[in-house]
Amino acid sequence: MAISLQKGGNISLTKTDPNLQKVLLGLGWDPRATDGAEFDLDASVFLLTEAGKVRSEKDFIFYNQKKSSDGSVEHAGDNRSGAGEGDDETVKVNLPGVPADVAKIVITVTIHEAAARKQSFGQVGGAFIRLVNQDTNAEVVRYDLSEDYSTETAMVFGELYRNGAEWKFRAVGQGYAGGLAAMCQQFGVAAG
Amino acid sequence: MPILQKGANAPLATQTPVVRIQIGRGAIIGDIDVSAYVLGENGKVSGDPDMVFYGQRQSGDGSVLLDSASDTETVFALNLAATPARVQRIAFAATVPGAGADRPTFAKAASVALRIDGADPIVFPVPIEGAIETSMILGEIYRRAGAWKIRAVGQGFAGGLKPLAESFGIVIADDPAPPPAAPAPTSAPAPAPAVSLSKITLSKAQPKIDLTKKDGAFGEIKINLNWSAAPVKRGFFGGSRSIDLDLGCLYELRDGTKSGVQALGDMLGSFGSAPYIELSGDDRSGAVTEGEWLRVNGARWNDIKRLLLFAFIYEGAPNWAATDARITLHAPKSPPVEIRLEEGDSRKNMCAVALIENIGGEMRVSREVRYFSGHAEMDSAFNWGLRWVAGSKD
Repeated sequence: MAISLQKGGNISLTKTDPNLQKVLLGLGWDPRATDGAEFDLDASVFLLTEAGKVRSEKDFIFYNQKKSSDGSVEHAGDNRSGAGEGDDETVKVNLPGVPADVAKIVITVTIHEAAARKQSFGQVGGAFIRLVNQDTNAEVVRYDLSEDYSTETAMVFGELYRNGAEWKFRAVGQGYAGGLAAMCQQFGVAAG
Repeated sequence: MPILQKGANAPLATQTPVVRIQIGRGAIIGDIDVSAYVLGENGKVSGDPDMVFYGQRQSGDGSVLLDSASDTETVFALNLAATPARVQRIAFAATVPGAGADRPTFAKAASVALRIDGADPIVFPVPIEGAIETSMILGEIYRRAGAWKIRAVGQGFAGGLKPLAESFGIVIADDPAPPPAAPAPTSAPAPAPAVSLSKITLSKAQPKIDLTKKDGAFGEIKINLNWSAAPVKRGFFGGSRSIDLDLGCLYELRDGTKSGVQALGDMLGSFGSAPYIELSGDDRSGAVTEGEWLRVNGARWNDIKRLLLFAFIYEGAPNWAATDARITLHAPKSPPVEIRLEEGDSRKNMCAVALIENIGGEMRVSREVRYFSGHAEMDSAFNWGLRWVAGSKD
């Protein structure tokens, strides 16, 4: 039985599932089903140092750079519509392979061309992030983003972070304006 | 004054908000329909009474009232304290008229806004530039952590009211078959509400409509008078017929001929020859549930100058309020036009319901719903110029 977290909650992955090594992060959402501009939500991952910044652009894993240089983090690809049940996008993380100077792995979802399409997380429901042990296929932890979102166009769903020797997961659910560009700026990625 | 962007939300300060849908029609011709939907947690209506629109001005739970509608503004008065616990959302939507490729989208409107009155009014100027939608959810009021909030939505459908209503779990009949056969009453609750939406109701706020020819002529125009003496039951026409209503019309032809078509005096008219108007029989038996029909030969529309449709209570007290009477005009390929006989004057036995005029070959239907003490008084009010003597149907 997976643990369900509330916004801001965290668990120790090492204690919850001591055998956990290969992690599958499943992300999902349901944009309002109407005509007009389609919703294209994109999951992105930032590998951050203690300072909260990327070491280089290589630590920004997204639809145009699907794998970290060391291979420990891999984006499974873009789902353009968010249609269907279950995970809309997935990210694989091999925890033992994550370089020692990466202290935190932030998982974000942003709305593609949100400003031009006048779209925001106020129009998206059913967002979640879940963490699955790839070896056992068991869901370890899940966080449903049930917050009443508004005009946010970028959202930190959750983060994996080191606490001494163990890995922890935090349910974040914090939204921002400015889409993916704002996320990149915050985490020190020069994107253009 | 909070101005909401699409997707944004704001708390409501009151349990009795007044929601105004304000539309500057711009290049959109015809009626823009505004409707509200009372929705459960699944985002669907629980039945027909959860829909508030021109044909049903209050929701079944009493929480949503379509208070007034004008050309530019529709006002809903809400009583959120009246909503049952299952109600999670109330959505407000608008639909532009028309069909097919020529149908305008909201991009053709001058402006669309949702406004909530109050000391600190909330306004959502709906972005419509480049909109492909012909029906749009403008905003929704929803429960959140025990309180009510408003969300600016501004999203909809290119295909009009049908997909919009279906998204709320309402089943729409594709083509309302004219004339409407009275569906058989059923005791079991319908699994899903079926609402004919492509109907035009003439009201005080929308008293006129111009019908245009399809394929160069009007074809056969059928006009129905129906009523019920029993309490109104939605979805079918029921009840005993203790009150007998007659349908008739005064007409004036192009050549100056003036007269009437009615059961009284056996003035049944003729479809194939002048006056090209025929009463298809009076039903005083109560066996036919379709009421009375008047047929107008649209192929000869150019021979007709004007018609005044009237309803007449021949026997029984003129208790109009108890009859729930309505006249429906069915022209081929046009949505049915309905006029309800409201605000009946129980001292007067005659109601001039609608004036149908030939305006440059087109057909203008104007709601009148004015009550008179008899033919002569009505005739005089409309300057028809006929002489009237008392008669009997026997």
